[in-house]
Amino acid sequence: MPLETPVLFKRVPTPPWGDFNDRKYVGYDDYAKADGYAALDKCAAMEPKDIIEEVKAAELRGRGGAGFPAGMKWSFLPPLDEGQRFLAINADESEPATFKDQILIQYDPHSVIEGIAICMLACQLDTAYFYIRGEYHHHREVFERAIAEAYENKVFGENARIGKVNNRWPNLYLHRGAGAYICGEETGLIESLEGKRGWPRIKPPFPAVQGAFARPTIINNVETLANVPYVMLNGAEWWKGFGKGRPEGAPPTVPASFGTKLMGVSGAVKRPGVYEHELGVKLIDLINGSAQGPLDGTKLKAYFHGGISMGVVSQEEAEAGVEMDFDIGKKWNNLGLGTACVTVIPEHVSMVAMARNCARFYSHESCGQCTQCREGSKWLYKLLSRMERGDGTTKDLDLLLELASSMGSMPGNNICGLSDGANWAIRTIVNKFWGEFEAVVSKPSRVSLAVLGDGQPVGAGA
Amino acid sequence: MAWLTKPSGTQEIERRDEPYLTDEIKKHLDETYAHRYPTRRAMSMPLLHEIQEHYGWLPYQALEEGAAFLDIKPSELLDTATFYEEYFTQPRGKHTVWVCQSVSCEVMNEAAITQAIADKLGVQPGETTDDDKFTFMKVECIGACGGAPCMLVDEELHENLTPQNVGGILDKAPD
Ligand SMILES: Cc1cc2nc3c(=O)[nH]c(=O)nc-3n(C[C@H](O)[C@H](O)[C@H](O)COP(=O)(O)O)c2cc1C
Ligand code: SF4
Ligand code: FES
Repeated sequence: MPLETPVLFKRVPTPPWGDFNDRKYVGYDDYAKADGYAALDKCAAMEPKDIIEEVKAAELRGRGGAGFPAGMKWSFLPPLDEGQRFLAINADESEPATFKDQILIQYDPHSVIEGIAICMLACQLDTAYFYIRGEYHHHREVFERAIAEAYENKVFGENARIGKVNNRWPNLYLHRGAGAYICGEETGLIESLEGKRGWPRIKPPFPAVQGAFARPTIINNVETLANVPYVMLNGAEWWKGFGKGRPEGAPPTVPASFGTKLMGVSGAVKRPGVYEHELGVKLIDLINGSAQGPLDGTKLKAYFHGGISMGVVSQEEAEAGVEMDFDIGKKWNNLGLGTACVTVIPEHVSMVAMARNCARFYSHESCGQCTQCREGSKWLYKLLSRMERGDGTTKDLDLLLELASSMGSMPGNNICGLSDGANWAIRTIVNKFWGEFEAVVSKPSRVSLAVLGDGQPVGAGA
Repeated sequence: MAWLTKPSGTQEIERRDEPYLTDEIKKHLDETYAHRYPTRRAMSMPLLHEIQEHYGWLPYQALEEGAAFLDIKPSELLDTATFYEEYFTQPRGKHTVWVCQSVSCEVMNEAAITQAIADKLGVQPGETTDDDKFTFMKVECIGACGGAPCMLVDEELHENLTPQNVGGILDKAPD
């Protein structure tokens, strides 16, 4: 069933309710007029632990890729002591094909800021850093403006209307990244915030216990926090009216897919853009409905359904009913929902080229700490480039799969999830489009000179 | 990235008498950023951005001055500077062109855009034009996939590029 009225995009014109061209910056005053900051005022009168309980009850799962329940994360914090406690908002948004958070940042930043303030209150975090990727220049300026408005209106700073948090006046600062995918990984982000190279840390200790500046730190995605005001204003039960619950009869321990989700569509479609849907919407409806179907004269072949790191879904699978929810991984043999931003791949684009593109991405963005990620991703890139040129062999295909599957956290030798992404991206592409790979390796473009002549390799025995 | 080692150990550092990190820049950094973080080292990224804003790149002498200002070792600041794609430890052109090469852009024919720019500027990705006007870079997803293929020219985003319209966009960059 299509979403009747938008939730996160209430103030951001989006088809079918509005027009992309009418999107504009919603400042403090306009935001406040439409119930804005009402949730914050409500929360200011609540016990922090009751806010966490409400978010827990909503079963709000992280929108940054991993789907970890936000309320549960918030309850991992140690008891208060004398020192500072931090919130880091993940606006690094660097997963290829992902461009959802930037819409909220550009057009409705106060919904994010309100979520930030509520989270700070609930978790008793005195200082928040908004870690925004370096390439978001315009977005950075817009968000700085929104932060300034929030200070003017006493959301933060001295005499903030929520009072002192953790015995300090609450503050929100923007921290600009400088172009490194790995700084989206939560501990890479923390290192970068501390002014170092973005090398992910070995966990435990988890950031909630020892994060930024060795103090308790919560890290959440922009969209996750933007959901919080709606949960708090209307209640968890209202919020759970959206999305997809548990299968009939499943116990409450089974994680569900409640709420709406921002979904970007890009690639070979008529109307690319960021849309809002209930979790559980059919991929094919997102493509043919929201994005108005394939570009004229193209047939579709595959989708990166949640950023490249989640792997691919084929057109046959999409037609058989792939649904965009947190169970997509288990049901359709990929890593998960990821960022729910879809790249639409048409028939004429080679999947070998797509795999090569992914491998290049990982080899370029690997931070280099773990051998199998650093070397493996380079090797994958070389192998795939060779195949794409037509110089691959059948043996390369097996090597490719073996190499990819040796790179993830299942063998358990990497520090962060980047190499899992590489593993899943490459493996699902190769497995689901085996035919294309076989076709490029079975027709070598060059005959090997070494086996001409008498059949003896040149130089053998010399 | 970080693990590509550079021969900086044997490199002569070009020096000038006038400091890069002027009192004015220091004052600005101290007033804007110092209170934000519990450590001075955490000002590394804002400081590097600031130096680069002024000089276009990060001269080694400036890194030394920056490190002294932050009370860290020059190597620690260099470590940060060399890790991130946006920091240049070598001079670059007046304008930097960043063409996205990730999946959505490749699907939308980024190859033709790259070719058109290479032809127009007469340089390959990673190079700077002879007149030092443009440095041409390829980057991974810049978060504007809905407008693929796309690029940044300095801080400005250009979407829905075609081999026909990129030339005009580059022509508009001031000398
Ligand atoms: C290699 C890598 C890159 C990541 N990049 C991002 C990112 O750009 N944005 C983001 O929100 N989360 C990213 N994540 C996920 C974060 O580590 C973290 O799980 C998330 O920010 C938590 O927020 P959430 O629970 O609200 O989703 C990345 C993870 C990995 C392993
Ligand atoms: S898995 Fe890769 S990106 Fe992650 S810490 Fe190890 S080397 Fe770095
Ligand atoms: S893939 Fe090019 S901007 Fe995202």
